[in-house]
Amino acid sequence: MPELAQQAVEAARRAGADYADSRVVTEDSESLTARNQVMEGVDRATSTGLGVRVLLNGYWGFAATARLEPPEIEQTAALAVEIARAAARLPAEPVRLAEVEPAIATWASPCREDPFAISLEEKVALLMEATRRMQQVKGATFAEAGLDFFRRRTRFASSEGAVIEQTIVNSGGGIEATAIANGGMQRRSYPNSFRGHITAAGWEHIPTLGLIDRAEQTSTEAVQLLSAKDCPGEVTTLILDSGQMALQIHESIGHAVELDRVLGMEEAYAGTSFLRPEDRGKLCYGSALVSVAADATLPGGLGTFGYDDEGVPAQRTPIIQEGIFQDFMSSRETAATIGLPGSSGTMRADSWQNLPLIRMTNVGIEPGEGSLAEIIGETKDGIFMCTNQSWSIDDKRVNFQFGCEIAWRVKDGKLTEMYRNPNYAGITTEFWGNCDAVAGREDWVLWGTPNCGKGQPGQVARTGHGASPARFRNVQVGVR
Amino acid sequence: MPGPVGPHEVRRVADAALGVSGVDGVEVLFMHEWAGLTRFARSSVHQSTWREDTGIRVRVVAGGRTGVAATNGFSEASAREAAASAREMALVSSPDPDFAGLAPRADAPVREGGFDDATASTTPEARATSIVALAGQVRDGFQAAGAYETAAAEIAVANTEGQFCWAPYTRASVTTVVSGGEEGSGFGERISMRAVNLDFEEIGRRAMDKAVASQRPRDAAPGRYTVILEPAATSTLSEFLAYLGFGGRTLAEGRSCFSGKEGERVAAPSISIRDDALAPRTLGIPFDFEGTPKKQVTLVENGVFKGGVHDRRSAKQAGSESTGHALPAPNPEGPFPLNVCVDAGDATVEQMIASTERGLLVTRFHYANVVNPMDAVITGMTRDGTFLIEGGEIVGPVKNLRFTQSIPEALKRTELVGRDRELAGEFFFADSLVPALKLGDFQFTSASDH
Repeated sequence: MPELAQQAVEAARRAGADYADSRVVTEDSESLTARNQVMEGVDRATSTGLGVRVLLNGYWGFAATARLEPPEIEQTAALAVEIARAAARLPAEPVRLAEVEPAIATWASPCREDPFAISLEEKVALLMEATRRMQQVKGATFAEAGLDFFRRRTRFASSEGAVIEQTIVNSGGGIEATAIANGGMQRRSYPNSFRGHITAAGWEHIPTLGLIDRAEQTSTEAVQLLSAKDCPGEVTTLILDSGQMALQIHESIGHAVELDRVLGMEEAYAGTSFLRPEDRGKLCYGSALVSVAADATLPGGLGTFGYDDEGVPAQRTPIIQEGIFQDFMSSRETAATIGLPGSSGTMRADSWQNLPLIRMTNVGIEPGEGSLAEIIGETKDGIFMCTNQSWSIDDKRVNFQFGCEIAWRVKDGKLTEMYRNPNYAGITTEFWGNCDAVAGREDWVLWGTPNCGKGQPGQVARTGHGASPARFRNVQVGVR
Repeated sequence: MPGPVGPHEVRRVADAALGVSGVDGVEVLFMHEWAGLTRFARSSVHQSTWREDTGIRVRVVAGGRTGVAATNGFSEASAREAAASAREMALVSSPDPDFAGLAPRADAPVREGGFDDATASTTPEARATSIVALAGQVRDGFQAAGAYETAAAEIAVANTEGQFCWAPYTRASVTTVVSGGEEGSGFGERISMRAVNLDFEEIGRRAMDKAVASQRPRDAAPGRYTVILEPAATSTLSEFLAYLGFGGRTLAEGRSCFSGKEGERVAAPSISIRDDALAPRTLGIPFDFEGTPKKQVTLVENGVFKGGVHDRRSAKQAGSESTGHALPAPNPEGPFPLNVCVDAGDATVEQMIASTERGLLVTRFHYANVVNPMDAVITGMTRDGTFLIEGGEIVGPVKNLRFTQSIPEALKRTELVGRDRELAGEFFFADSLVPALKLGDFQFTSASDH
């Protein structure tokens, strides 16, 4: 397989490319979904193909094929060069690439138990038991449980001499209970919404989730929410659990610091960013408690890898340090555009058939001090919200609104009344500026977001987000 | 450039999967797509791609249990391997009491002109030339971003009940955002089966004019406004309504905002919504992913909810027949309408503006999402041109606003429906063929800074 990537690079060079890289990717996936003790989705997929990216006179071209015979590789490489040649019809500043030492390397994410080798019977039994326990709660309408496994093998080669083989395994699972009555519907998920908690690990991750142990409580809360009051509309103190914090970071920090967005390269679809290159080291993004990094070297994250899809080594980049914006996530091209010394190593494609884009690695907040219990305990009045349900943010990542699954009133340091349909809205830098507590390491979780969308054609990336529960003052909640 | 492999070759490969032993039934979904995309930003081409892929998705049925396996290898060996994998999964699964069997043999209509050779074989050079024409409309101090894609595909479904249907189709689409000046942006979009139908100069001009009109937006207070939604904005409402309201399974399970509301008024009498894969200008396929021919389904007629769409499973739940709206298996979410059409009215946008004492003209929405599914409340932002109307005239651009609004409640307050319809894309979902709408008391809950 590495030979195929090298063949494509050589073919592109013969066709006239000044620079070429190629990825041969095989992705295997397995997904199982049970609902009310019926297996409704039992699905395996495999996809293999090759993508070749070229630079010709400073213009990009990319072509991809699933057919890996030598003539097809030759033709695909030539087409990539033809595409680059056509791009010159609209003159632009030629693309320059920041330097990178060409790596010859093999890398694999830690995986103690191959999830694809675990029997289907064991997986089905786990899901059936989890849904059975959720169904035992009176009033639960639907009990769902799911498992997802991915294995991506990438062989990368470049005309600069890089040859990298990489294998990444992701595993995860989750449960979700739905209660429906009197025209209302409420959901509770565990450990997180949208397919649960997915990490860069093997099957060994699944038993640690406690899907069966938490089934009854998850289902009970869904039923209790049906008779809870709607979250009141007010400006108050808001405490977020780490799961919701992960998406808050994803939407209002992660996407905003993607340098391709900042430079207008995603303007027509996902949008741009309120940040400008000159904001580095100056802009006040949040309070002094807010320190955020993009770290592809963290063990276990969905944004963990050895090398990105440009062959740049994984690295840790400070994004926000004690509230001050520090740096972007960049690529070789965008780093060179604004004069950075090198790429921060964040270029990833979601498959062989798409171009790599700047994607979040593991963008997480540094843990603070104390525990969630202590934050709640020292809060006189406020709202505690858990588990993301919906998200929306404007095209410059300024105005956002999030919905959560469940909330409680915090009164004199204690959780009191439960609320349903909680949501909150804010303005990015005001919101982070009002952060006055971040819980410590013991409550910090490296969550995964498996459904991050970006680019045209649309690409779905898996990203990681380390998050502790945190508290924010003066937040509008209960938007109706 | 490749072409369709054709029904005979598809059938040959599918037969390898259909012959898997020890099962009660097999269904093969075949897809083959090739597409070129020219993506531009800052008025230059920055990401152009070409890709080709095939896919075989095999669903195996054994004792009421199903398993699915997919591969992008297009060969008899790959098909057999996928079928064996699907059988393995089916055998460990559990029986689904609502499984309604595989689709019976039935002729699907042929969509004349659904495949355009010229679109399928558009070269990178031709796409770049088109973008040059679009960018030629952009004045100094402004820049264009966007994407122009020419895609071709063929799809087929074969099963052991004897059903076989095959269809090729093409799609050409261009979107652009023009921005610059002293702050402001404009939007243009066209989608068609045929690339020749896209007028790039007109699209560029439209976005440019909007960007000029959007310069120096002023603050607008959140609150309730009469809104005039251009078709791109209407499509956000129609697609989210399709997702939240019209799926047969969500309806049957009480998860739809329209569950139990058949025959009830859910919109103003001027609103009629259908799903029609074969309507002129839509890009529908004549059968669904189970191989059932698609029917035209009236979802809302003169403001009254008539019913949803079905696949075979949801039809069994509802005691009805499939309307040809299955998604690829396995699909725990059930069927959804993919070709939503909102009937045209008789008003022009100019008439809508002239009849508005105070309101907002919205070019499009951005990144909407669900707030409350049972009431079909969604939230999202305006972008690329939002304008204040006073005394029947546009008085100037305003900064973007966030709406939080129930879709049926908004549609109940429909005052005018546009005469002209456009095929408009939505951020998360499919394309809708929709008119502009004038709606009363549309709720905006917060504002942004640009």
